[in-house]
Amino acid sequence: MRYLIRRLLSLIPTILGVTIVVFLLLRLIPGDPAVAMLGEHASQDSVQRIREQLGLNRPLFLDREALKGGDFRGFVDSQYLRFLGRLVRGDLGASIHRRIPIAQELSQRFPATVELALAAMAVAVALGIPIGIISAARRNTWVDSVSMVGALIGVSMPIFWLGLMEIMLFAVILNWFPIGGRLDHAIEVRRITGLLLIDTLVTGQWAAFWDAAKHLAMPVLALATIPLAIIARMTRASMLEVLQEDYIRTARAKGLHQRLVLFRHALKNALLPVVTVVGLQTGNLLAGAILTETIFAWPGIGKWVYDAIIGRDYPVVQGGTLLIALVFVLVNLLVDLSYAALDPRIRYE
Amino acid sequence: MSERPIVPEMPLRRRRTLWGDAWRRLIASPTARLGMAIVVLFVLGTVLAHFLWPYDPKTDLDYSLKLKPPTLRPTPDVPSIHLFGTDKLGRDIFRRVVHGGWNSLRVGVISVGISLAVGGLLGLLAGFYESVPLTVGERIGLMAGIGLVLGSIPAWIAGQAVQAVLFAALGAVSASVAASWPNGRRWLVMLGAGLLIGAVPSLFVSPYVALVCGLLGLSIGAVLTFPLGGPLFSNIVMRLMDVILAFPSILLAIAIVAFLGPGLDRAMIAIGFVGIPTYARLMRATVLSLVQRDYVLAAQAVGSGHTRILFRHILPNTLSPIIVQSTLGLGSAIIWAGALGFLGLGAIPPEPEWGAMLGDSYRFLTSGAWWAVTFPGIAIMLSVLGFNLLGDGLRDALDPRLTR
Repeated sequence: MRYLIRRLLSLIPTILGVTIVVFLLLRLIPGDPAVAMLGEHASQDSVQRIREQLGLNRPLFLDREALKGGDFRGFVDSQYLRFLGRLVRGDLGASIHRRIPIAQELSQRFPATVELALAAMAVAVALGIPIGIISAARRNTWVDSVSMVGALIGVSMPIFWLGLMEIMLFAVILNWFPIGGRLDHAIEVRRITGLLLIDTLVTGQWAAFWDAAKHLAMPVLALATIPLAIIARMTRASMLEVLQEDYIRTARAKGLHQRLVLFRHALKNALLPVVTVVGLQTGNLLAGAILTETIFAWPGIGKWVYDAIIGRDYPVVQGGTLLIALVFVLVNLLVDLSYAALDPRIRYE
Repeated sequence: MSERPIVPEMPLRRRRTLWGDAWRRLIASPTARLGMAIVVLFVLGTVLAHFLWPYDPKTDLDYSLKLKPPTLRPTPDVPSIHLFGTDKLGRDIFRRVVHGGWNSLRVGVISVGISLAVGGLLGLLAGFYESVPLTVGERIGLMAGIGLVLGSIPAWIAGQAVQAVLFAALGAVSASVAASWPNGRRWLVMLGAGLLIGAVPSLFVSPYVALVCGLLGLSIGAVLTFPLGGPLFSNIVMRLMDVILAFPSILLAIAIVAFLGPGLDRAMIAIGFVGIPTYARLMRATVLSLVQRDYVLAAQAVGSGHTRILFRHILPNTLSPIIVQSTLGLGSAIIWAGALGFLGLGAIPPEPEWGAMLGDSYRFLTSGAWWAVTFPGIAIMLSVLGFNLLGDGLRDALDPRLTR
């Protein structure tokens, strides 16, 4: 419990730092951000309107001119503190082109990204850990070599290119899977969780479930490759380390079956570093979704951020970046906590 | 009877060096050899092409050759040979892939250089001063620095640069003279001095400013009361690194370039910036393990200065993990540069860059132009694979204890 509190407190400076970084991103724009968003030929009025909307007329952090006159409210009324104040209320501002609240749009698109990332992580874990175990158990055999070379190729694979190759093979040549999107336009699904696979299962819409799964297959395959390869490598390395321990030799000396030694004695201890990798990779999956969603026209956060980058809708880019970073911080927190739950030594450090 | 030497000739054992051993272990591994071959081929090919095979992307354009499939010999339709086919502007993809390698190499080397220089130095200092007590001079420098940084806040509010200098001086005094004072006296003097430095000059601006600056000065004085040391520096650095690490690195790189505007130079900066924490953490961890070694203790015992210990004794011994990480880093920098280029945030057209070439051509995939997408991607994958194989091989070769 004390560990939990300490860990939560240590998050505060990090999250503040994250908000400052996201806030300062807008300052990286060369020249006037309002002009950059609207283009050179925008009217003076609309530039002024955007400046108002984004609060660009206020100073960045503190207003020293207001303080001179004794205006303490004006002193702290700055771009950053307004930004922070709105964040606390869950307000991420509005898209400059479509005038929709960003938080609302993000919450609508978030389930699509989560579904993609979770499915990819499930595939990566379900395949990566067994591959790692088999490689470690049959070390230096052809099974080990093939899977480790495969894993190395997987780590070296640019996922955007892998996605394109999948489209070429499975959509254009073989015509097995649809080229992009999340669901056929003709199909209506009642939203419960926003995760289509679950919603269609719960309501028993088998045709829709099948269609959603077909849409999901290619992006998941592309997104899962890197974490799959990393998890397999990590599991193998960790298993090899654990298999040298004394208690493994003891277990073997007792005459226990190889399978029992591997799964009951070795795997439990070898999984700790793998948990960390899974956590780190989940964050990278969310970020990697920008590439995957762009290629497969997947209507999630990544695609929205990409469209916003192209359309210079900077508040949307800020909102998406912030959301993904916060989720990443949260996932890492969960990893640390589960680590502490799995390994009691950590709690007493 | 023939003369025989009294001492029989013994074959001299070949002299062995650390790097020589590492090299032998490296070339003994087939995967490392493969990686090295790919890397050498990639580097040689792109560098030679850049200097010996001139290419001007601005004038390269021929609509009559638009999207032609790969050809091995001239045909009436396509009079020239295009090993990898042509793209939507009729440009030879082979040529652009070869020249695109130059850009990938540049991005890799420069961005890894940025991360390594900044992150490595920060990690080196953080790790060292976390475990080795500061000398008097270093302590004065640190405290003066803290005074200057914190003092710049009231200095900015009041618009008086002199305040920052005064706070820096207060920090120096705290580190040198005040260190020997009893606790109660130090508290009193520091709080009072901070209050005065903050409030008095600000009175000339406005009483309200003086109030705020006085309060700030009070708290700065309180901070400077503590005998702060190296662990604080390390703590600050690593917390800053944590903030960068709180973003998935690809995301932060994309966001930075999205705001800075596209361009290969900006991509290098973004990728380099995002990589800083990796090297800082690695360097700090390595240094922490080295400081306890006997040769460092010996150097301290004979009175070597900190600079000498850092750069003569510690830095050379951090090289192995750094070399491994940089090699792997080159690979990921190439992928990230490709990702940025693919999203239209890296190289600006018509500059040849692998990711940008993919982004240019993938719309033609549905019309069957597989070659325009296949070859630049293979180039990315192969070069990254080369660096990864070489990095893995180097890891095993440089640290035999880790070899399994």
